[in-house]
Amino acid sequence: MREVLEGSQAVAEAVRLARVKVISAYPITPQTHIVEELAKYCADGSLDGRFICVESEHSAMASVIGAESGGVRSFTASSSHGLALMHEMLHWAAGARLPIVMAEVNRALGPGWNLWVDQTDSLSQRDTGWLQFYCSDGQEALDTTLLAYRLAEILNLPIMVVMDAFFLSHTYEPVDVPSQADVDAFLPPYEPKFLMDTKNPYALDEVAPINVYMEMRRSIQMAMEAAPGIYQAIEDEFYTRFGRRYGLVEPYRCEDADIVFVTAGTAAATARVAVDTLRAKGERVGLLRLRMFRPFPAEAFRLGLAHAKKVIVLDRNCSFGAGGVFAQELKAALYGPEAPKLYSYVAGMGGRDVTVDTFSELFTMTRDQDEPPLGSVWYGVNEEMLRS
Amino acid sequence: MSNDSVNTFNVSLFFPKSSTSTVTNKTGTWSFMRPSYLEKTAPCSVHCPCGQDIPRIEMLVSRGQIAAAWNTILAENPLPGTCGRVCFHPCEKACNRGQFDEAVSINAIERYLDDAAWAASIAPAAARGSAKGRRIAIVGSGPAGLAASYFLSMLGYECEIFEAAEEPGGILRYGIPAYRLPNEVLDREIARIRALGVMIHCARAVDSAFLEGAKHTYDAVFLSCGNGASMKLGVPGEELALDGLAFLRSAKQGEGAARTISVKPHGSAIVVGGGNTAIDVARSLRRLGVSPTIVYRRRREDMPAFEHEVARALEEGVRMVELRAPLALARLDGGIELKVQKMRPAGVGADGRMRVVPDGDATELIFADALYSAVGATHAESWMVPPDDGRVVRLSHAAAFWDAPVGIPLLYGGDPVNENESVADAIASGKQAAIALDVFFQKGAGAVKAELARCAVGDGTSLSMEIYLGGPRANRSGRVVSFKDIPTDYFSPSEKKRGASLPPERAIASFEEIESSLDAAEAAMQAERCFNCGICNDCDNCRTYCPELAITALRAGRRDDWSTEAGPARAINSDYCKGCGICAAECPRCAMIIEEQQS
Amino acid sequence: MQEIRFHGRGGQGTVLASIALAKAFFLAGKWVQTFPVFGSERRGAPVEAYLRLDDSKIYLRSNVYEPDHVVVQDARLLQIVDVTKGLKPGGWILLNAPGVPRGVERFKGFRLACVDASRIALEYGLGSKTQPITNTSMMGAFARLFGMPPLELVTAAIEREMPVKIAENIAAAKAAYDALHEYGLLDDALVASAAKTARAEAAL
Repeated sequence: MREVLEGSQAVAEAVRLARVKVISAYPITPQTHIVEELAKYCADGSLDGRFICVESEHSAMASVIGAESGGVRSFTASSSHGLALMHEMLHWAAGARLPIVMAEVNRALGPGWNLWVDQTDSLSQRDTGWLQFYCSDGQEALDTTLLAYRLAEILNLPIMVVMDAFFLSHTYEPVDVPSQADVDAFLPPYEPKFLMDTKNPYALDEVAPINVYMEMRRSIQMAMEAAPGIYQAIEDEFYTRFGRRYGLVEPYRCEDADIVFVTAGTAAATARVAVDTLRAKGERVGLLRLRMFRPFPAEAFRLGLAHAKKVIVLDRNCSFGAGGVFAQELKAALYGPEAPKLYSYVAGMGGRDVTVDTFSELFTMTRDQDEPPLGSVWYGVNEEMLRS
Repeated sequence: MSNDSVNTFNVSLFFPKSSTSTVTNKTGTWSFMRPSYLEKTAPCSVHCPCGQDIPRIEMLVSRGQIAAAWNTILAENPLPGTCGRVCFHPCEKACNRGQFDEAVSINAIERYLDDAAWAASIAPAAARGSAKGRRIAIVGSGPAGLAASYFLSMLGYECEIFEAAEEPGGILRYGIPAYRLPNEVLDREIARIRALGVMIHCARAVDSAFLEGAKHTYDAVFLSCGNGASMKLGVPGEELALDGLAFLRSAKQGEGAARTISVKPHGSAIVVGGGNTAIDVARSLRRLGVSPTIVYRRRREDMPAFEHEVARALEEGVRMVELRAPLALARLDGGIELKVQKMRPAGVGADGRMRVVPDGDATELIFADALYSAVGATHAESWMVPPDDGRVVRLSHAAAFWDAPVGIPLLYGGDPVNENESVADAIASGKQAAIALDVFFQKGAGAVKAELARCAVGDGTSLSMEIYLGGPRANRSGRVVSFKDIPTDYFSPSEKKRGASLPPERAIASFEEIESSLDAAEAAMQAERCFNCGICNDCDNCRTYCPELAITALRAGRRDDWSTEAGPARAINSDYCKGCGICAAECPRCAMIIEEQQS
Repeated sequence: MQEIRFHGRGGQGTVLASIALAKAFFLAGKWVQTFPVFGSERRGAPVEAYLRLDDSKIYLRSNVYEPDHVVVQDARLLQIVDVTKGLKPGGWILLNAPGVPRGVERFKGFRLACVDASRIALEYGLGSKTQPITNTSMMGAFARLFGMPPLELVTAAIEREMPVKIAENIAAAKAAYDALHEYGLLDDALVASAAKTARAEAAL
């Protein structure tokens, strides 16, 4: 049934439908409404789960690791500094091969203090062994959360469902909430491949000597490599049941496009409007929305950009000293003589709006420039402020 | 597509998980060292002439187990109320805690325990042993005689004490002033001994003829007559001196009696001597308003009197003249003029004490209203001490004449045979005699020395009745715990405390007891300071720190009844003990050992 | 696509009104999108919220810069906030005021509608004299002004969204629905007449 939900509520709905048993979260800034909603569900009985209010995000992740090790589906949510505090435990969750799903609302890291959208927080965690999916609207946030549980429990790897602060987390829009019966059919009860069991004791997360550690890391990489294929199979099933699909990357009007935008999150939704606007003016432009970031879907990008001459990557993030993260990753994935020219732009950090006009300007700049500059170009920066 | 087809994806899952638990890893096979629980001997116990189980007593007090603690004393010492007041407590000098901050208040805690047990009417656990059908005569009811009767009763002997005085107690009743030991305390201790069936005949002086005929009624005689005869000054005019012991005896009978042998108030007195008697005489005189001056031929630090008693005497206004030897006494103006020779130290003698020699021919005259002699005492009659006979067996605290001409064994104890004249040493001699007699009757004279060695506490001369009787303490190692054996990181410095004392100006106003008892909370806190050297107090540090979980709890929690629950409440599982030694190293009490494994 | 901007103060329920209206429009078959201007959420501070309406899925997720209409929940905001910033010419200003306020000459070229929402709110016991809760009254006036969403869907949304005093809120919405005064395009004549009224009031 379709109803008007806030982005945070859409995620909470998905967690309720997934029949998650343990939710552990730190409730203070930079937390979002997601866990507020889930606490309500646990309290009023609409979710048969236990809400653990912990004293820090590090503990939140530690306790879902405990819950998941005990064989129950679990969930947490965080943002920016909270996610940064979790960092050590994020590695642990992946190393312990626990299919934890968390919602991560992209918010800027301080100082200066800023609660607005910025993807640097989640991208800083790219090497922790977590899968990452970036969502563009409330419906996708709900659907991706359900898909994530299904995928994580096959891969035995944790998944981050990433969404922009405010432009998605605090925005109300119609969302189709599937029935519990349909979700139950798609996402059966969690059957852990291993769990802490007093009747059948064994040791978990123990010492890994030199002769096994690298194999364990190789195993994570192998599971990551298998993820795109498995995801597509799961999404096929999801499509059959719910009529929606997103892909690893989502192409829009790319078929004959000379110039293709690549970006993620809510900016990618606005980019779609920009593509329509530019197309109306006769420009051959398309959009290839990045959805899966880890594992990086290099093959999907190569296919999706096979005919593009230029690629405009808009990064709402920066790896300082290198530039926009999506652009770097994409450049590496496309490397070779056939690669389109890649134009990297850093924009929209710390909540600065990314509008249709933003894309139109980036398009014009790119179209009129034969060779891309070496690094990332920062768009919309007031240079006056930096002169001193 | 069905769930099944999707779920058939074969995903690599190699991660840290082993189905073999640590249980299968028998770390015990790595071991070449093996820890074990082995309780050891505390230095305080070794130095306690009575061999009391001090670390256990302190542990029980710290837990509030007053009855158990008190009975632990009574197992080794029948006179805790007395010793808690007058003992010179060598235990505290030996206390390992003394090397950390200050020794444990063992003496004050003993006093507290006896007062608390009395106030709570706790019944003593010590009982008369099963009758052995033998009767022992004991001459003298001082601490040695009382102790001998007590321990012999515990061993099943019928005891009769013959006391020349009107009331029992000897030196305790007639020699130690009331401000140190009130008679009520002594009375309750003697009542406890009588309750064991000991018969005390007072005002029954005996003589050598008694010994001759004793064999008809008794199987042995224990002579503990004490040193009742004061020694003479040995200088011209010595007959002018008053007898210090006689003065103390009258003082104990009340102030009125004391005055009959004292000078008038505000008068002055000279007390000659450096032992406890001299100090007691001077302090008693002070309480009668007299200004006493102690004249001693050596230095203050050479005095045989207990140091704390000397200090207290000076606080109370007793004056002291050191290095002055009496030369002659003379009457002068109704008083006494004492001529003294100035002395000087002349090196340490063979006995370890500083010798003194005349400092040229310098002399001085000291005047006082009276002079009291307290230069030592000796036995009153020759039969009271062992004869000079090669067959007499000299023990550390007693002498035994097994085949005495009187036809039954004669044993000698107390001050006449003790190197150290103290109440605790007197009790030790009573205990030694009792054990020796029991061994003699059970196994013969030849077994005595070995049996005494078996029940010695650590490497000292003190004996333990509990060890003799095969109690849990018998399982302890005689190895004495030293300060370096204690991991002191487990202890924080804290203050030593005794019971409150009357201020000197109030103390000298009467014969009221000077020191009061600790209260229960203070006593527990003071007892908690004890390292409990060598004994397990169930702290569970071993179990907490064992990295292989190789230590199992045999019982939950702590032992309540130490008299029946022998040994620790924990066991070491050799399947998993890898011999790392952490348990032994982290035992705050040094109650474990680690040794090379026997193959 | 229509874009509407709401102006209010923290504590007046402005954001809640935009959400409730969005839900009423959704019930009427529209695609909707609403979100507040994200900043410090402090009582009394000027707040803004946006509402987008369309007949198909809304992809645009940037802020609203050129609204079709604005709703001003507190007339005193006119002194400190430029409520017509970016407002499309001919767009409606729905104002909580008993009548045409002073200084309307700067709003020439826009259309004005007023409702005395503060009075209505107080009449139904919503909020206090200094802080009337006017959001539901403004929703009723909004439904009357635009003919959308239908009043019964507005009351349905109020029933679902308002945490307390549901009956009073619905009554207030209905009363405001009836009390709306549409002045229409602010042209020279209307501005002159408003100025005259203001002078007359001042003379009193």
